[in-house]
Amino acid sequence: MSTHLASPGRPRADRTATGLGATLRRVVPPGLLFALPFLVLFVLFMLWPMAQGIWMSLTDTSLSAHDPSFIGLDNYTEAFGDAEMWRAMGHTAWFTVVSTVPLVAVALAMALLVYTGLPGQWVWRLAFFAPYLLPVGVIGLLWLWLYQPDLGLYNHLLQAVGLDGYAWLSDESIALYAIVIATVWWTVGFNFLLFLAALQSVPDHLYEAAALDGAGAWRRLWHVTLPQLRRITGVITVLQILASLKVFDQVYLLTKGGPNGSTRPVVEYLYDMGFTGYRLGYASAISYIFFALIVLASAVQFVALRRREK
Amino acid sequence: MTSTDVPTRPARRTVSPLPAARRAHRGRPAVQRGPNLTLGASRLSRTLALAALAVMALFWLLPMAWAVFTAFKSEQDASDPLHWIWPQGGFTLDGFRTVIERGDLPLWMLNSFLIAAAVTVVTVVVSAMAGYAFSRTLFRGRRWLFTVTIASILVPPQLLIVPWFQQMLTLDLVDTYAAVILPQTVAPVMVFILKKHFDTIPRELEEAARIDGAGHARIFWSVMLPLSRPMLAAVSIFVFIGAWNNFLWPFVSTSDPALMTLPVGITAVKDAYGVNYAQTMASSVLAALPLVLVFVFFQRHIVKSVATTGLGGQ
Amino acid sequence: MVDLPGPRAASARPEGNRAGPSRRGVLRASLASAAVLLGGGALAGCGSAAAASDPRTVRMWDLFSGADGALLDELIDIARPDMSGTRVDRTVLEWGTPYYTKLAMASAGGRGPDVAVSHMSRLAGYAPLGLLDPWDTALLAEFGVREQDFADAVWSRTQHRGRTYAVPLDTHPFIVFFHPDTAREAGLLTGDGALDQEAFSTPERFLEAGRELARASGRQGIAFGYANDTAQGWRLFYGLYRQTGNDFGLPVGGRATADLDAMTEVIAFMQKLVDGRTNPRRLDYPAAIAAFTNRQTGMILSGEWELGTFRAADPEVGAAPFPTVFGTPAVYADSHSFVLPRRPDPDEAHRRRTHQAVAAILRAGQVWAKAGHIPAYRPVTRTGEYARLEPQARYAQAADHVVLDPAVWFAGAGSDFQNSMSQVLQQSMLDGLAPDRAARAMVERMNTALSQPSPA
Repeated sequence: MSTHLASPGRPRADRTATGLGATLRRVVPPGLLFALPFLVLFVLFMLWPMAQGIWMSLTDTSLSAHDPSFIGLDNYTEAFGDAEMWRAMGHTAWFTVVSTVPLVAVALAMALLVYTGLPGQWVWRLAFFAPYLLPVGVIGLLWLWLYQPDLGLYNHLLQAVGLDGYAWLSDESIALYAIVIATVWWTVGFNFLLFLAALQSVPDHLYEAAALDGAGAWRRLWHVTLPQLRRITGVITVLQILASLKVFDQVYLLTKGGPNGSTRPVVEYLYDMGFTGYRLGYASAISYIFFALIVLASAVQFVALRRREK
Repeated sequence: MTSTDVPTRPARRTVSPLPAARRAHRGRPAVQRGPNLTLGASRLSRTLALAALAVMALFWLLPMAWAVFTAFKSEQDASDPLHWIWPQGGFTLDGFRTVIERGDLPLWMLNSFLIAAAVTVVTVVVSAMAGYAFSRTLFRGRRWLFTVTIASILVPPQLLIVPWFQQMLTLDLVDTYAAVILPQTVAPVMVFILKKHFDTIPRELEEAARIDGAGHARIFWSVMLPLSRPMLAAVSIFVFIGAWNNFLWPFVSTSDPALMTLPVGITAVKDAYGVNYAQTMASSVLAALPLVLVFVFFQRHIVKSVATTGLGGQ
Repeated sequence: MVDLPGPRAASARPEGNRAGPSRRGVLRASLASAAVLLGGGALAGCGSAAAASDPRTVRMWDLFSGADGALLDELIDIARPDMSGTRVDRTVLEWGTPYYTKLAMASAGGRGPDVAVSHMSRLAGYAPLGLLDPWDTALLAEFGVREQDFADAVWSRTQHRGRTYAVPLDTHPFIVFFHPDTAREAGLLTGDGALDQEAFSTPERFLEAGRELARASGRQGIAFGYANDTAQGWRLFYGLYRQTGNDFGLPVGGRATADLDAMTEVIAFMQKLVDGRTNPRRLDYPAAIAAFTNRQTGMILSGEWELGTFRAADPEVGAAPFPTVFGTPAVYADSHSFVLPRRPDPDEAHRRRTHQAVAAILRAGQVWAKAGHIPAYRPVTRTGEYARLEPQARYAQAADHVVLDPAVWFAGAGSDFQNSMSQVLQQSMLDGLAPDRAARAMVERMNTALSQPSPA
């Protein structure tokens, strides 16, 4: 690899066929040589771990110093009967539903409003997108503070208008939604930018034509803008669903999956099983069950998306 | 990486997905994309839209404002439920002072920077080479390898933490920079994006070089890469932000606080003097500052990066 | 595959030859640093050596924040003359499950700290995993710390297969704190200012005492913070349950044995304790502390580790062992102890230094009592100086009846087990789950834990 990177400075390097690099180039097709660095990393840190994960899921591997032994499908059998795992899967699924809707809808609303070209573009973009740039550690600390029952901003604001505060993160019935709110605040800016970019490629002449027809703001929105966004909305929704399914960070930082496990997503469950419970083998089995479900969900979405486009 | 983008003003004139942002510079004729185009001439719809925007922006800015506000309070004022808006004792820099004196925050920033930079450099170099290989070269198994690469985009890294950790145990790399960096450098989606990008570069451009007898190395380096600068910048920014903010794997692979990245460190390590809200917010503000500042100065680059890379790379 | 939409294609168009020298510079610099990073295995190998590079530094992980943290600094300062120049480099991690997860992962990786603080109750899950190295008792004795310096009940928990895996620093029971003026007004103090244990000796009396305290404080009676807490519910419950004279039988691979009636009785009592009228209902841990320090309540059920916090708010604050409500004296407690995370090839000289530092810290333990903890190293507690400590001396007797978590691999401080038990209890206290159903749910969860294969 290094010989390749060094060669551009010496235009004739390809012809002076001496040295290791040249030998390599004779034996291996140049194209493969270019792909090689990636392929090495890919095999080492993607294929190998995936294979190792399958092997581990068939053993009782733990964090301990002892040698693991092969236990066949026991981990899978246990996982399928593990109510707590299914509960975590349920949380992940529900989180995906209740987060995807606002993450697409609010992002779209933001993009439509900013795209109108109203003054203050810079401020709007900063306000909506900046949270996305905050490290999730900051998101955790910030929202713990905002949601703090006695001192946090939101309860103060609610009380200021005469409402009761909430135990945002310790009330089972609302904790997940509190996390969704924090998540929307944090990541909506990303989808917002994607929508904005798509909007800016809507050709002006469509609007000009609408203007000639005397269409007002609403009709321009319904008949010009939104139809142009059908495809991109589908794509963003799919990407958002896939992203939401992997939720872990903010849940772990805000509630650690509590109260009473009512917010624990499946990624946290496998972290808990693997590292907190030391059972790496069992955690691997859960990973693969979840992976199978993701592949299934993706396949369904893919087919749906294709069908809609036709 | 991003900070060195400063002098690249020419980008102002490049084709960007956000023409509206630079409407003013372009001086487009006649009907401009502005409120008139989308909202019509009605003053009412314009006012309503502006009001809606302002309300939303308020909701989005409030948490950050509140964090900054708290960071400048004394601990006593921060935990005073009665005077929750205006601090009785005035504003103070104590929170920041304590956090900085403690000294671990700058260390985590440095770690985050080193790790994100390493991940970015390796990922972009390796993915660009692979993208080129898949786009422009022929070798046995090329299609098959590309298909496997694409398929692996579906594998969420979250599900690999257990085998990765086991692998790092095997390689005796737990609690090292290498353990944090290496798994993050495998980015099939970047290979895909860059391959697609190279596909769009007309072949004629390399013909001249090929006639001169240039090999793949030469074409890649002196034709493809120079033509791809905006794309490489976009991909780099995207990878960097992702690595800078990555939580789960750095959290799993490092236990030694001296090696932690910013997002992990500020939540895992507690100050020896209790949970102090003003201090916590001060460290949050400091931790948030680098990327937010970078955004303020390089808004256009970052926006472009997300817009061009995001749909392939989320 | 997802196809990329318009905007991407637009920007992907080649841009002509506008030479941006800076970009090229960036690329070069990037490549250079890539080479350094890839080639420099040095970075990879010795990443964690940052702090360890000084051989005289003992790296220690602990979970003491707040007043405890400050006090441990002081303790180390006092012990320093006995450490022959060793520097103790503390890292404070967030207490709870994450701490033990991190400790296990670091130990598995073999690059953990030189010494770590662990709750004694976690040892049953740790030592058999091979994640800890045993202490060299001969070496400890050389530095003045011997088996007979500890209470038998505590020392016996440090053993695994005949070797010593923990050196106890303290015992920290779950006790009660009160504001003496309020308690006196409520008629709950004896002549010498101690808490009148008789007034709390049955569930009914305990609740009545709460009403008296509420009257005297003018607000509410007894604070207990448990909402969204991973341990508090269990701490209170397990101590009370052991007071009924029962215990749990927890055979791994088998089924739990428990006295459901006794459990139900205890849970019913806990429900009444947080009724929301005489005592606040929905308190999380910090809120309970605030309620007590702001004198919203006259008493708090809490770990003695909050002594420093309470004394800062009320210098006169009183303390007493947790009253015997159900007949048999039993006080929930745990013990902070030092453990040695596994090292594949430990450096003997460094291990020796670690032993010396820990021994020195134990012998300087008098200071540790300031935090409220009862030092485990008995030569410290036998001094007259300790007997004069107020209010520590008032609850030192609690150490006679301490009960630690069941010695089973999944239990102990910061464990999932405690968390899961506390969750059921919270459902009962906060959401009105019937006590008998809560008891059955707890036993069910115990069975689930028992059915999981031990990772050792």
